[in-house]
Amino acid sequence: MDIKNNQYYKKWFKSAWTYVAGAILLSVLQIATFAVTGNPWGVSGVLANWGAWLYRAIGGSVDKWYYFSSEGAQATLEAGFLNHPGTMRNLGIIFGALLATLLASQFKIKKIKSKKQVVAAILGGLMMGYGARIAFGCNIGALYSGIASLSLSGWVFALFLGLGAIVGSKLLVKFFM
Amino acid sequence: MTEKIVDALGEACPVPLIKAQNAIKELAVGDILILQIDHSCAMKNVPEWARKEGHNVEIEEVDDGEWEIIIEKV
Repeated sequence: MDIKNNQYYKKWFKSAWTYVAGAILLSVLQIATFAVTGNPWGVSGVLANWGAWLYRAIGGSVDKWYYFSSEGAQATLEAGFLNHPGTMRNLGIIFGALLATLLASQFKIKKIKSKKQVVAAILGGLMMGYGARIAFGCNIGALYSGIASLSLSGWVFALFLGLGAIVGSKLLVKFFM
Repeated sequence: MTEKIVDALGEACPVPLIKAQNAIKELAVGDILILQIDHSCAMKNVPEWARKEGHNVEIEEVDDGEWEIIIEKV
């Protein structure tokens, strides 16, 4: 039988799961993360460490940078890429997403359409990355884990995330479409 | 009846949706809009919007990771 037409293949791998299924899985897995590691789920803080390791690999030093000045941050950097739980989790997200798209046979390398798109992506990435670090969290660490920990800061973050999204989409439509 | 093809390949959300919204304004009732996408989120938000507006929507998978959303303006 052709696997493409198998109803279970379609249900599990081909069609997008519902928002409710996603929400339940995220909730269960973030509770597991919290229980096992003692820290709430976060994503973008790990990326800052990746940047630091990359900078070190090409001969730079972040020892004097305020962001990495705490003993904890230094210890994490010293322990290295492979001994960092958050790094493993982020790699898992990347490979999991790749696996999901391959299983659904929807993998595609997208073409870059215009220089404008490149500029928009770089500017957007820089602003999101910088914003996430001065806020000490992104939509996962600050918003999702914040609210899940019953912290008011998560709700404040949500409000300004919404405002930022409104301004961001207006700018996108005005300058990059 | 005219058929309009809009190329939104390589565009991430919300660009495909906005392109579809702009394109459908210029069409008459009964005309067909074919939106080409390769961003799977657009497969959710474009049909959602179009069906809410009352248009007829069909999705066709034309290649790995590539779809055409066919919208008939109502």
